[in-house]
Amino acid sequence: GRRGLEGACRRGAMEAAELRVGFVGAGRMAGGLARGLLRAGKVPASSILASAPTDKNLDAWRESGCRTTHCNLEVLQESTLVFLATKPHILPGVLQEIRPAVGPHHIVVSLVAGITLQTLQRLLPAGTKVLRLMPNLPCVVQAGAMVFARGSGAGDGEAALLKNLLSSCGLCEEVPESYINIHTGLSGSGVAYVYLFAEALAEGAVKMGMPSGLASRIAAQTLLGAAKVMLETGEHPAKLRGDVCTPGGTTIHALHQLEKGALRATVMNAVEAATKRACDMAED
Amino acid sequence: GVLAAHKITASSPDTDLPTVSGLRKMGVNFTVSNKDTVKSSDVLFLAVKPPIIPFILEEVGPDIEPRHIVVSCAAGVTISSIEKKLSTFCPTPKVIRCMTNTPVVVREGATVYATGTHADVEDGKLLEQLMASVGFCTEVEEDLIDAVTGLSGSGPAYAFTALDALADGGVKMGLPRRLAVRLGAQALLGAAKMLLESEQHPGQLKDNVCSPGGATIHALHFLESGGFRSLLINAVEASCIRTRELQHLADQEKISPAAIKKTLLDKVKLESPSLSVASASKVSLFTSKSPSSKKN
Repeated sequence: GRRGLEGACRRGAMEAAELRVGFVGAGRMAGGLARGLLRAGKVPASSILASAPTDKNLDAWRESGCRTTHCNLEVLQESTLVFLATKPHILPGVLQEIRPAVGPHHIVVSLVAGITLQTLQRLLPAGTKVLRLMPNLPCVVQAGAMVFARGSGAGDGEAALLKNLLSSCGLCEEVPESYINIHTGLSGSGVAYVYLFAEALAEGAVKMGMPSGLASRIAAQTLLGAAKVMLETGEHPAKLRGDVCTPGGTTIHALHQLEKGALRATVMNAVEAATKRACDMAED
Repeated sequence: GVLAAHKITASSPDTDLPTVSGLRKMGVNFTVSNKDTVKSSDVLFLAVKPPIIPFILEEVGPDIEPRHIVVSCAAGVTISSIEKKLSTFCPTPKVIRCMTNTPVVVREGATVYATGTHADVEDGKLLEQLMASVGFCTEVEEDLIDAVTGLSGSGPAYAFTALDALADGGVKMGLPRRLAVRLGAQALLGAAKMLLESEQHPGQLKDNVCSPGGATIHALHFLESGGFRSLLINAVEASCIRTRELQHLADQEKISPAAIKKTLLDKVKLESPSLSVASASKVSLFTSKSPSSKKN
């Protein structure tokens, strides 16, 4: 019920402060998430333990004040909230390895692309609190977009805890598992589409005579500003677009070029392609 | 019902036109004399083809009095050109330029007007009142009239084309043609009505129709892939630019007046351009039956 959820949210807020967080796998995504949590001040570095087979990735974690190890089991033994962040083909083996150390107090959150809740639950002890999270790289600057889905063993408390913790890194929403691949196509990969667009904007400016460094910074700020207006006003982007277009002015001339190039359809194609690929990869 | 038929007078050199009998049946007074209609009217609609306007103005100029409001619906004919022509007869002619579209015939027209130097606010309001009875009517600056032509002047043609194609789509998927046409037209009518009655942006209204992963969003993706939006932008732009071109050509008066007069008089008899000058005590009958008077 509603009161139950409120209680869970309060518990979630309390627990975050005493939380011991572990990362199995210390690659780019895990690092981004951890750095986001640290910058947000949600979890002290000393409460974070990360494991990886080599030191290659772990140096950066140590520099931030986190603890590191080469032993995955240690992460399970030391942490309550455990993020799984290995490459997809490695995960099944890792799950076999850590399974003996997984207990009812653990909250296991998988960041691994393409591995379903069903698979995770099959490879972990019955009733384990499992959730699946799809973040994106801007978590590292507290401007991430994240969605998560809960497995059968995870309840309101775990969902609230995760949402509370991760909201410090950006937008964090619970979704049905079927949306996770779509989120990949939209926002996981979407970040790359934005970089491509920013690069093209800057190039246009360079062509018209602006130095590239300046053009790049302005392009980024333009995207940031537009996104901020959209998020803060909640207005439909079509309406916001119209607001910028004075009759016969520069903007409408430019937009006509974009429409001629079927930009909208191309972007839809991109999101569709990435989503489909995520689905295909999951089945492999 | 804004005007009684007997208060409307229409004139045309050619009494064999199908539109003439139609008007007569409605109870409109008909005459072959433009001068007569001018004398018995207050508001004069000039509904002739653009190249004929100068000749009509020459013909009726002497009979124009201070009370007359001359309304030109001729595409590309500027207020200043009409005022210049009339100024030889009348020091302060009241001229209003208007651009409308064919759906006035079902009272869903889109009309704009621009007032000339000597037309008062009340004169504009009178026209607005008349045209509002057959659809939407608003005042604009004259320099926007070309853009209006591109959008709502030509607009019904874009819609007819779209409807024809939508019906084809329906037929392809198994619907009988008549039903397909009926449903397509109703869909566009309904959508337009929703938009006009809503505060929401069309983009939002579109979203409201598209359930996630559903049929509509799949279809829209096809439209976007085909550059649907840019095609429509191109169309409005092309129509507007062409209107300006034609106006420019007319201004330059490249053709000799005598040649025009003869050619057009012959053409008038062969084609069906409806009325030349139509006027009435309060209003003139609008040439709703004949789209050719608006052809560029």
